[in-house]
Amino acid sequence: MGPQHPSTHGVLRVKLKLDGERVVGSECIIGYLHRGVEKIAENRTYQQFAPYVDRMDYVAAVSSGLGYCEAVEKLLVAEAPPRARVIRTILTELQRIASHLLWLGTHALDIGALTPLFYCFREREEILKIFEKYCGARLTTHAFRIGGLQYEAYDTFEKDVERFCKDFESRIVEYETLLTENRIWIGRTKGVGILTAADAIAFGVTGPVLRASGVKWDIRKAMPYAAYDQYKFEIPVGTTGDTYDRYLVRMEEMRQSRLICLQAIENIPSGPIMGKVGKVLKPPPGEVYHAIEAPKGEIGYYIVSDGTVQPYRVHIRPPSFINLQAFDRMVRGHLVADVVAIIGTIDIVLGEVDR
Amino acid sequence: MADEPKEPKPSQVPTGDKPVSSTPPVSTPSAKPADASAPAVPPKPAAAAPPKPPVVLQTPLDNEFVTRFRAKFGAALLEAIEDRKQAILTVDRAGLVEIARHLRDAEKFDMLSDLTAVDWPKREKRFDVVLNLYSFAKNERLRLKVWASNTEEVPSVVGVWPTANWQEREVFDMFGIIFSGHPDLKRILLPEEWQGYPLRKDYDILQQDTAWVRENLGIESGQ
Amino acid sequence: MRELLERLFQVDFLKGLAVTFRAQHPKNIVTEQYPLERPMIAERFRGAPRLNNNPETGETLCIGCNLCALACPENLIVVGWQRDDATRRKVLTDFTYDTSRCMFCGLCEDACPVDALELTQDFEMAYFTREGAIWDRHRLEQGPTPARYTR
Repeated sequence: MGPQHPSTHGVLRVKLKLDGERVVGSECIIGYLHRGVEKIAENRTYQQFAPYVDRMDYVAAVSSGLGYCEAVEKLLVAEAPPRARVIRTILTELQRIASHLLWLGTHALDIGALTPLFYCFREREEILKIFEKYCGARLTTHAFRIGGLQYEAYDTFEKDVERFCKDFESRIVEYETLLTENRIWIGRTKGVGILTAADAIAFGVTGPVLRASGVKWDIRKAMPYAAYDQYKFEIPVGTTGDTYDRYLVRMEEMRQSRLICLQAIENIPSGPIMGKVGKVLKPPPGEVYHAIEAPKGEIGYYIVSDGTVQPYRVHIRPPSFINLQAFDRMVRGHLVADVVAIIGTIDIVLGEVDR
Repeated sequence: MADEPKEPKPSQVPTGDKPVSSTPPVSTPSAKPADASAPAVPPKPAAAAPPKPPVVLQTPLDNEFVTRFRAKFGAALLEAIEDRKQAILTVDRAGLVEIARHLRDAEKFDMLSDLTAVDWPKREKRFDVVLNLYSFAKNERLRLKVWASNTEEVPSVVGVWPTANWQEREVFDMFGIIFSGHPDLKRILLPEEWQGYPLRKDYDILQQDTAWVRENLGIESGQ
Repeated sequence: MRELLERLFQVDFLKGLAVTFRAQHPKNIVTEQYPLERPMIAERFRGAPRLNNNPETGETLCIGCNLCALACPENLIVVGWQRDDATRRKVLTDFTYDTSRCMFCGLCEDACPVDALELTQDFEMAYFTREGAIWDRHRLEQGPTPARYTR
């Protein structure tokens, strides 16, 4: 299957071993989109590398950017000012909604529900418009800079976010009407691709996939970064760890993200948006590992500095890459048609798998 | 595509070489206790700023956990430091699997978040293999490091954390480090016939396996 | 019992249809007729580059400081300058911008101390040749020339 199959969300090739219609083994072949991001990092300055991380997970560029900027800030022993942190939080949560919407639309499309795709894109468009107004780009945003923000929030920023959040409440209900009780949807997702909690931890799976397996763990709560410690939100968890649970977890996560946005825009502190970092960044030698909760799971940056303007080594822990490893465990014993559902439910982006 | 891009590149290649030439002062500290050289280098960035006491970022780590660990493994623990409040243990290569199993079962570091490597070509043992562990029970991270030279094999931890499977393949793919005991050690991101290991420091950013590119893609250069 | 009735009358299906038909109301149509109707581009949009001239004198604002070329991650800007013997100041002679490799990250724009280099709201940048993507000073100063489409 693949690498140009429409349901593989990119260039993933899966070798399936079949017994009739049943899958008895699988092997993922990846690397078609390998660009050597980590090698590029070693040949760029810290600031110059920031646009490249947007191009890994291109449907959640803001989250990757936040992880990178915070990792370098940690390396510099610097901190972004409170105003920057709150704006970062709002944008990252909007990005989480956008990423989940894209996932929902394409996942439903793979399984055969054509309609949600258009509705999801309609709402995602609203978020992308906010991004465009805020930082001038829709997809590969390069919204944050090391040490804070480059752009001040535009005049109607709060109003736009608030309007989106108000509208979005009823929109989620619409998606749920179309899918949650839909008999075909339940038939295609319930009991498909079960991943137990023990397996999920052993395979290092993170994000909604881990939570759907019943592990209540979210880096936003466990090790708060940006301004997440100021807001109240729930971590939704599943019980069985099947495709339907992962669907429910992501739907609930969108609701929670919406609540975080509403809490955050109520009180954006005033003050500077850029912290005290120089024009030329030379972090003292040493190393740091910093992870944040991206829409797809834990995105970690392991950065080694040798005291020069260029990173000595940047390693990225891409959630899609690691979650995809559990695919083999999830797909065994299912029908060929379920493979499509399981690829969709892991929510991979091949730009991030291959880097 | 080829003509125009050539022009800016010369300025870029020397900067690409820089980290390699400036390695020696840095590669030594992680082999020796790191705080010895940490104050030596910060003055450089701090020179323009008002004088402030050099911040010691790397300190020897000595807490209850390390004491417990040292009591159990003794000589296998080569170094325990803390860098920017993150614990780093460097352990002996041979005992890695045993230590990993102990950390997973007794110390509850049940998730391997990340496995990677760093190349320090000036050092005798040029590779650091780095494992980032996470404990759900303690909500703590721990970094485990192993040194390996060009020819030495590192024991595979796939038996302890299955997630290491692809990550070790990636390290093999990019650095050429052999993991002994790995069930299926082959390239993962690059084509299987590719020659060379791109993330080693002596592999230039513009370098590529031209023979492979010509043969399989039918073009002169993939740049 | 209730579940049986719901199954019998296909309540889930009807609910779904209600959502679908609601979206067909003319008020709820969001499709843009792109070439006929130009989309609203945000003020901060990072699109085609432009080298600004002083609106009063028509002289270039660029001081040839080369900061944009240094900031660019892809090294795609080449600034040519000469020192004017009379005024001892740098004078811009040439400016090359390779848009085919540009990521529109905006770092060059941020680096510019005099706001000479600007990423404009123009987004229609298709070319027939690769050479067409490499813009010289004249093309950069000319600025965007958006096409108008009529039926």
